[in-house]
Amino acid sequence: MTKFSISRRTFMEGGVGLTVANFLPGTTPLAFAATMEERTIAAAKAVGAADVSGMIWSPYLVPMQPVIADFKKATGIGVGAVQDISIFDTPQRAMAEALSRSPQFDFIHIDSNMIPSLASAGYLEPLDAYMKKADFKIEAVGDYAKFMTYKGQTYGIPTDGNVHIQYVRKDLIEDPDNKKRYADKHGKELKFPETWEDEFRIQQTLMDPAKDLYGSGSLRNRANGPTWWYMMFYSAGGFTFDDDMNATLNTPAGQYAVDIYLQEKKVAHPESAGWGTPQMIPRIAQGHVVTAQYWDGTARLNENPAKSKTTGKWLYGLVPGSDFSGKRIHRSISSPLAALLVNKYSPRKAQAAYLAMWLGSGKNSIPIVSDPVNTFNDAWAKEHMTSELVRKAYSPGGIKAIEANFQVVSPPTYLTGYLEFQDTLGKNLSEAYVGQLPAKDVLKKTDEEWNKIVGRIGRAKLKQELASYKALMPKRNVPA
Amino acid sequence: MSVAVVPAVQAQASLPSTRELSRRRAISRFRWSILGPLIALLVFVLMPVLFLQLYFSLHQWTVYLGTWWDAEYVGLELFQEVLTDPRFGWAVVRSLSFATGSTIGCFVIGFALAYLMYKPFRGQAFYYIIFILPMLTVPVVVAYTAEMMLYQSGPLNDLITRIIGIEFKPAWLTNPHIALPTVMLLEIWNWAPFSFIIMLAGLSAIPKEPIEAAEILGASKWRIFWGVQLPLLRPVIFLALVLRFLEAMAEFPKTWALLQGGPGTATETLPVYIFLTTWQYFQISKGAAMSYIVMLLMVVIVLFAIRLLRREKRSLDTMYEKAAARQQELA
Repeated sequence: MTKFSISRRTFMEGGVGLTVANFLPGTTPLAFAATMEERTIAAAKAVGAADVSGMIWSPYLVPMQPVIADFKKATGIGVGAVQDISIFDTPQRAMAEALSRSPQFDFIHIDSNMIPSLASAGYLEPLDAYMKKADFKIEAVGDYAKFMTYKGQTYGIPTDGNVHIQYVRKDLIEDPDNKKRYADKHGKELKFPETWEDEFRIQQTLMDPAKDLYGSGSLRNRANGPTWWYMMFYSAGGFTFDDDMNATLNTPAGQYAVDIYLQEKKVAHPESAGWGTPQMIPRIAQGHVVTAQYWDGTARLNENPAKSKTTGKWLYGLVPGSDFSGKRIHRSISSPLAALLVNKYSPRKAQAAYLAMWLGSGKNSIPIVSDPVNTFNDAWAKEHMTSELVRKAYSPGGIKAIEANFQVVSPPTYLTGYLEFQDTLGKNLSEAYVGQLPAKDVLKKTDEEWNKIVGRIGRAKLKQELASYKALMPKRNVPA
Repeated sequence: MSVAVVPAVQAQASLPSTRELSRRRAISRFRWSILGPLIALLVFVLMPVLFLQLYFSLHQWTVYLGTWWDAEYVGLELFQEVLTDPRFGWAVVRSLSFATGSTIGCFVIGFALAYLMYKPFRGQAFYYIIFILPMLTVPVVVAYTAEMMLYQSGPLNDLITRIIGIEFKPAWLTNPHIALPTVMLLEIWNWAPFSFIIMLAGLSAIPKEPIEAAEILGASKWRIFWGVQLPLLRPVIFLALVLRFLEAMAEFPKTWALLQGGPGTATETLPVYIFLTTWQYFQISKGAAMSYIVMLLMVVIVLFAIRLLRREKRSLDTMYEKAAARQQELA
């Protein structure tokens, strides 16, 4: 047995040495830090103070500001110059930055479905090394953290879940007269819709255009329409490409989705062909629709009595599914899923990465996703689901719906060329919706156009990406 | 001696004086001070951009696969692709019809207002400001304001319904048959003042004598307008039409802010399709080829317009010469 004897002097010297080492850059003993937030601060301190610049839309930035101020206080890293630009215009602007290899912005706040395109253009800094240094994890509900990955690397930190949930007017479907009317007409009980067919029947029965009440509040415009179509297509068992990267939209599942998508014209507002979020959100919050699939943030708006006429009048739940494939499948969607991405050419990429991680910790993002006024950042972390603040903002029913939909959430075409795939599909669906194109030609035309895109971007390259895209598809057909 | 002196004096007389030389040098300096920056702008800014654009249109650059200088040379393939793209063809048709319709609309309204305004009257300055206000409004603001006005249950339809007493509910922005004409109406509202200003300047510059002569000869107002003012205004009219047409061909902010090419493809004009191709699909090379084709189309239109303008000017000059000769004869 060996006996150690440490003198009092040696012990004191060792203590002083460790204390000094603690302040040397890069030697911070992160393992001693107790929480993920503390570890992020310790790692950030090591890379030095800086004000990072970014491209971010102010409705997203405003609720982040107090959290950023805390980080600045703790590490000296804050946000300096910002280009305030709509998240819908950011992809074009970001790609221009990528093509010019510009170091102007340290971070961009953008739809994470742009990750494959921007990573392919060489613009994005992988964040895994920074995350490892701070032992940071994206603690998202379900497999949602995978939406930040591409070819095995993490490129983004989410700030906004933006998952679609189902909205149904509680007062209308619980009304005894409506229940009777529905039962008489369809021989079924009027209840929360489980399939697309159920939803359409409810919309048809309960809508009353004379009272400015339309069946559907879902979007059908060119820019947003595909987001809805994907839910129908995936739930019918469809997938966008085969293993050889041939487009596979023009299938029975695809045609079923087109038919479901287009039939809503009968129950939607006559101007729905051109309406986007600025028009539809007020319609929902003012109670002019019977049902809708919509981004979860609208639940927060509905449940804020200062901003909504329909507080307490909504039921939230799982988006409808389909039995088309022979088994019941539900597929929700998250698009645009806003995330913080870091510019590879930035001289302050480490600072930007740690700031993103700070904003993306479950605990720190609670005030961001529960802000009752700036409702753009939506809940996504496990911690959000149990936070009283978040539950109050969305209502317990809203949070339950978010959690359920996250378990079956899917992406749009998560590949390089995302915007082109999306707009081509949107254009053809929109043409069919307004009668410029026969419904039977939508997918034939889209398949042809998608195959051309694949040819141009490179079949081999996209085949390599297919695994990343498929990995985002949910493993469950129905939430647990 | 004197024999030798005469040619010397003649030679001296034909030589410019020091004052004349200095005047010529000043003119030359002035000319170059104007032309110099323009030539520099052309050589150092415009030409490189045009060459770069040409490079892109001859090379297939896939932005995800490499840098632009590594792009594969494809010759005229992209031009062929664009010219055989039905979507491009429809975009040309939409742009031409949009530009033609809005140019005619702007001109008719602009000319009518100018005709009402060209003779001085009390409060003229006030009306002048009112008439040019739309032109001073930013196109995006025009678009967003119009969007609020043009909802099916919005103020415009409501107002018309109240006036005519019958329900009037066109879906201005979401009916694919009327979406483009709606943007055209907004373009006319926005830019009719431009035609108004040009036509007002033209009407004010017409010499008074021919009109006075026609009045003395007892010509009616309509006859004076049709037989005297309109022929004298023709070069100005052509200028107003050509400038407006070129501007209208390039209209983007209102169309994009309101409809982004939709519903369907109803408002997918050339600028919208080029923007989508270049910055939504990131097909920089195809976008460059499209831009070149559009530029060539515009050059053809401009050359045609210049030719027409010259012909108009010549016929106007001939008319003035004839009038002067007739006046001389009478004198």
